[in-house]
Amino acid sequence: MICEGWGIPSGASTRKDGPVRPLDPRLRHIRPARSYLLLTVGLGLASAGLVVAQALLIAALLAPVIQEPGTSPPAALFVGLGIAVAGRAVVAWAQERYAVRAASRTIADLREQVVAAVATRPPRGAGGRPDGTGVTTLVTRGLDDLEPYLVRYVPQLVLTALLTPALVLVVLWLDWVSAAVVAATLPLVPLFMVLVGRLTAGASQRRLATVARLGDQVLDLVAGLPTLRAYGRAAGPAARVRALGDASRAATMGTLRVAFLSSMVLELLTTLSVAIVAVGVGLRLVEGQMDLQPAIAVLVLAPEVYLPLRRVGAEFHASVDGVAAAGQALDLLTWADGGTRAPGPGSGELSGRTASALVFTDVSVRAGDRAVTAPAGLTARIPLGTGRPGDGRVVALRGPSGSGKSTAVLVALGLVEPDSGQVLLELSAAEDPGHARGSGDAPTGTVTVPLGEAGLESWWQQVTWVPQRPAIPPGTLRDILHAPTGGSRGAADTPVPPSRTVRVAKAARKTGLDGVLRVLPNGWDTRIGLGGTGLSVGQRQRVALTSALLDDSTARPLVILDEPTAHLDWRSEEQILDAVLTWRDEGRTVLVVAHRASLLAIADQVVDVESRPVPDTSPTDTSPTDADHGAAR
Amino acid sequence: MSAARRPQPPTEFPPGATLPAVSAHAASSRAPAPEPAPPAGAPPRATPATATSGTATSGTATSDTAASAAAASDTAASSTAISGTTTSDTATSDTGASARTTPDPGSPGGAPTGRALRALPRGVRRDPLWRLLPLLEVRPRRVAAAIGLGTLTLVCAIGLAAVAAWLIARASQMPPVLTLSVAVVAVRAFGIGRGVLRYTERLASHDVALRGMAALRARVYAGLADAPGTPSVRRGDLLARLGADVDSVGDVVVRAVIPAGVALVTGAGSVLLLAAFLPAAGGALAVCLVLAGVVVPWLAARAAARTEAHGAAARGRVSGLALELLEEGTQLRVAGRFDDRAADLRAADRELDAVNDTSARISGLSAGLASLAQGLAVVAALALGIPAVAAGRLAPEELSVVVLTPLAVFETTSGLPAAAVQWHRSREAARRLLGLLDHGSGERVGETRPDLPGMSLDLTPGTVTVVTGPSGSGKTTLLMRSAGLLAEAPAGGAPGVLFVAEDGHVFGTTVLENLRVARGDAQEHEARAALRAVGLTPWLDALPDGLDTMLGTDATNVSGGERRRLLVARALLAPARALLVDEPAEHLDADAADDLVRLLAEHARRTRTAVVLATHRPVPPGLADHEIALAPGAGAAR
Repeated sequence: MICEGWGIPSGASTRKDGPVRPLDPRLRHIRPARSYLLLTVGLGLASAGLVVAQALLIAALLAPVIQEPGTSPPAALFVGLGIAVAGRAVVAWAQERYAVRAASRTIADLREQVVAAVATRPPRGAGGRPDGTGVTTLVTRGLDDLEPYLVRYVPQLVLTALLTPALVLVVLWLDWVSAAVVAATLPLVPLFMVLVGRLTAGASQRRLATVARLGDQVLDLVAGLPTLRAYGRAAGPAARVRALGDASRAATMGTLRVAFLSSMVLELLTTLSVAIVAVGVGLRLVEGQMDLQPAIAVLVLAPEVYLPLRRVGAEFHASVDGVAAAGQALDLLTWADGGTRAPGPGSGELSGRTASALVFTDVSVRAGDRAVTAPAGLTARIPLGTGRPGDGRVVALRGPSGSGKSTAVLVALGLVEPDSGQVLLELSAAEDPGHARGSGDAPTGTVTVPLGEAGLESWWQQVTWVPQRPAIPPGTLRDILHAPTGGSRGAADTPVPPSRTVRVAKAARKTGLDGVLRVLPNGWDTRIGLGGTGLSVGQRQRVALTSALLDDSTARPLVILDEPTAHLDWRSEEQILDAVLTWRDEGRTVLVVAHRASLLAIADQVVDVESRPVPDTSPTDTSPTDADHGAAR
Repeated sequence: MSAARRPQPPTEFPPGATLPAVSAHAASSRAPAPEPAPPAGAPPRATPATATSGTATSGTATSDTAASAAAASDTAASSTAISGTTTSDTATSDTGASARTTPDPGSPGGAPTGRALRALPRGVRRDPLWRLLPLLEVRPRRVAAAIGLGTLTLVCAIGLAAVAAWLIARASQMPPVLTLSVAVVAVRAFGIGRGVLRYTERLASHDVALRGMAALRARVYAGLADAPGTPSVRRGDLLARLGADVDSVGDVVVRAVIPAGVALVTGAGSVLLLAAFLPAAGGALAVCLVLAGVVVPWLAARAAARTEAHGAAARGRVSGLALELLEEGTQLRVAGRFDDRAADLRAADRELDAVNDTSARISGLSAGLASLAQGLAVVAALALGIPAVAAGRLAPEELSVVVLTPLAVFETTSGLPAAAVQWHRSREAARRLLGLLDHGSGERVGETRPDLPGMSLDLTPGTVTVVTGPSGSGKTTLLMRSAGLLAEAPAGGAPGVLFVAEDGHVFGTTVLENLRVARGDAQEHEARAALRAVGLTPWLDALPDGLDTMLGTDATNVSGGERRRLLVARALLAPARALLVDEPAEHLDADAADDLVRLLAEHARRTRTAVVLATHRPVPPGLADHEIALAPGAGAAR
């Protein structure tokens, strides 16, 4: 899933195709995970020592009393046993206490890294929103699967590696016959588990996929309830839901019957081995070939030898998701390191200067999921305003749905690299003739720089962009709009100058935000949550537009509006037109993606955007990568 | 409406239909995860809860791309797939701001409280989990069987330890070998029995749990379908939560009820066994078992509850910030706010860390105590047993049993902390489910609808009515009420009046079956005709399997405009006497929008259907017979 739209191998596919690595070696690059592993190893060693000590002490206390009733063992042994018991409790406490902490930090660390790596990727396709649902799921929920993995599975894995061999050695020292039994049966456990697992993996995977699908269908029906209700058919599927549930149960039980086989083998082998050791020891005791004290120690130690292995087996299922999540996250990070970077800040030729025109030369972008190029061969020169009244203009991008208007905006912002063609910025030559090459196409006296080299960050500082779904920083509307910086952190503390208040009120009137404020119960103090919760898209758009109106017009000569009227009624549309004209009158260039005639009517320049089908490809195999990823889920 | 009476389910599945891809949301853990076998003497571990806070991540809709996959086809069953994500904004964009909230529809018949529960104390009866348990339709006999098998499994484990201890002690006294033969056979039998019994017990308990989940799912669906008003659980996170909650409630049987039952029986049995040899040792074991089986799980559940309660806000913030960074990352970068938000995410993660850390203290204590309880039981047995042997009250080989048995007994309690945590989680899940069932919708809270006193629509056959008005003026409300879909209307609504919502659901099934939602017996040629009418023929031709192509809710093969048209095509097929279409032109450019409106008008005249269009943009002149203009805010002006 992680791969969806991101063109990287999916964790799910590694899970299906290859063996799951019990411990991803790349985890050591995550600092909290590394120190946690060290701690776990230390605690594992302590634990081994304490287990052995406890067994020997119990045997030493018990054996003399059984052999000669009436003897009373030295108090020192009791004290020793007490210390061993307390020590084990401390180890258990420390393991749990720090495992949870380490897991929480590892998850946070990975989440930050993944978010940072992915969020700086270029957005895909038209609309400007990455469609990486898998990434979203991973960072919001998937990574949480790491917790059981780190807290429960990893310690057992470490113990298996440390405790088990140590205990076998101790048993060997106590009684070589029992050690031989243990040494012979131990390898059988993983062997049989792998065998059973191999034999059953395919069937289980298929069945589990079926189960997930059956569950999804139920949820699909729930999601569609309003529609079903509207068609008066809500009651019908109830029986179907039950049938799906029964089918799901049958499929799951089929999986479990097979899946539990491996755990049965595990239990059977370990318990039977303990029984064999016990019987063997007992029979040798009868024949006088062995002393009671080592016999008791062996009896106490035998289950402990198998314990870590059993728990690795038991936690295995719980940890598969964690391993997969870690794998996905680490894959993403590796991919982000190696893959093509989003257009970076660039060399910064633009810094300190203002662009005077934006030029598209034969720009084409292949749409990710469709067999079209949208836009195709876009060529236009868009002069940018200077912030002086009279220099402004309204430029409309016109074209049918899906022709690539929004993509053209992303290209103009340097967020999407065109597949062919170029975006250039014209800089006024007078300001710095040293840089840049001349271009025959450009008007005399200017130089052009490819957008990628101009320095995107500087370019962005000259642009005000209001996308289709504007992101609004959380806070009260007052904070967001009255703060001179547009609502960045700490802005609430600075007092608002009265002149600003007047400007904000004026801007709000222009965009119709004042009308929105009137109906909001808390008015200016309405609190906007993360992602703009609390406002509808239309309302959010007005907030974003108001904020854009408050920008410094000379510093940001270009305003880009993506379908500003899409969510609004005609009355509001008038207000948007007003805002657009205000920008123009301020001397700014307004680049607007327009569906409606009203916007086109006020445009000084109309740029037609067209899409073109990609020849010789049928819709099904236009994007082989996507299809692959779909199959890998 | 006649469509309502048709027997077909809305999603019919032709045999051999391609199975759809599994969406990311739901694939997480639908089946109960095979529950880990608690190993002998294992220090129980508590997992601090990982509370997923769905509410705080709202607003930014996750787009779920359900690409069709070449999926295995080992069920001929069906072909609905989910990808239940809708932009929440479309739901709220048209319902303006201030107005009254939807009246609480009251308690529907979603949660029948069983007769047996009436005998329970009031507090218990109010417990959400107790209220939901009857919906699992669990048969006590099956639960008892699972507990019985689990008990036998542990009897094997404990018996193995006890008999082996006796065997060794007795053997050291070098009796005739024959006297040991029963013990030898018993040890071996226990060694084999345990694995086999455990297998059967796990199958039995999972069967119970899965039956419960299936029943609960069906009851929840039925409860939602019967709820007054139009239930809407549409947003992906809420939907995934619903699925996870049902699973979580179902898990309570396999992970909490059965382990607790087994622990109770075997714990009591072990105490009696030891007490039979030495009453004081039995008492000591009982105390230690209570420590490990009651105090420790209580602490573990407390740690989990703490994380959930205190961490929910931080967790919600983390998810929200992560989502915002992922989805709006480019915007934030262009606006120069990216680094600020990344720092916010780090801060929120630190906060979550702090909460987890506090809980880790409690769960660490719980883990330590569990280990201590087992050790103390052994020490106590030694301290009590050795003088008893000296006094002749206890045989030497019995001492061996009294001391070594406790090492195995604590396997009984090792699963209880996890059981307690599960109980807590299941109860929270049950609370959410009940909330959903009781209120009909998880999204109602805060949703506002304008009041439109006395407004009604004229549904004369063959007429076209256009309802205009700015956002929030109540167009949608008026339409939904006329279709009988709002809470105040009787269930079943107005017969024959079809409301075509702006955000109608596209089911995860084939194009044809999606159209058959309107009319189960719609033939292929009718479906094609309807698609042609709305101008979707080129789209249909481009689909790999034509009418049999799988669609998802927000599948990539349907764009916003195509989706609108598909919903209208579906409406055209419905045998309704009135079509109330909300915003038919959204997501379409001006020409396409006008074409669609014209088409609906023609449909009205031709089929003598009343058509009502609610729109916030002007319709082509001359099409409407009536026009209703709603004023901004509540109320109307004709």
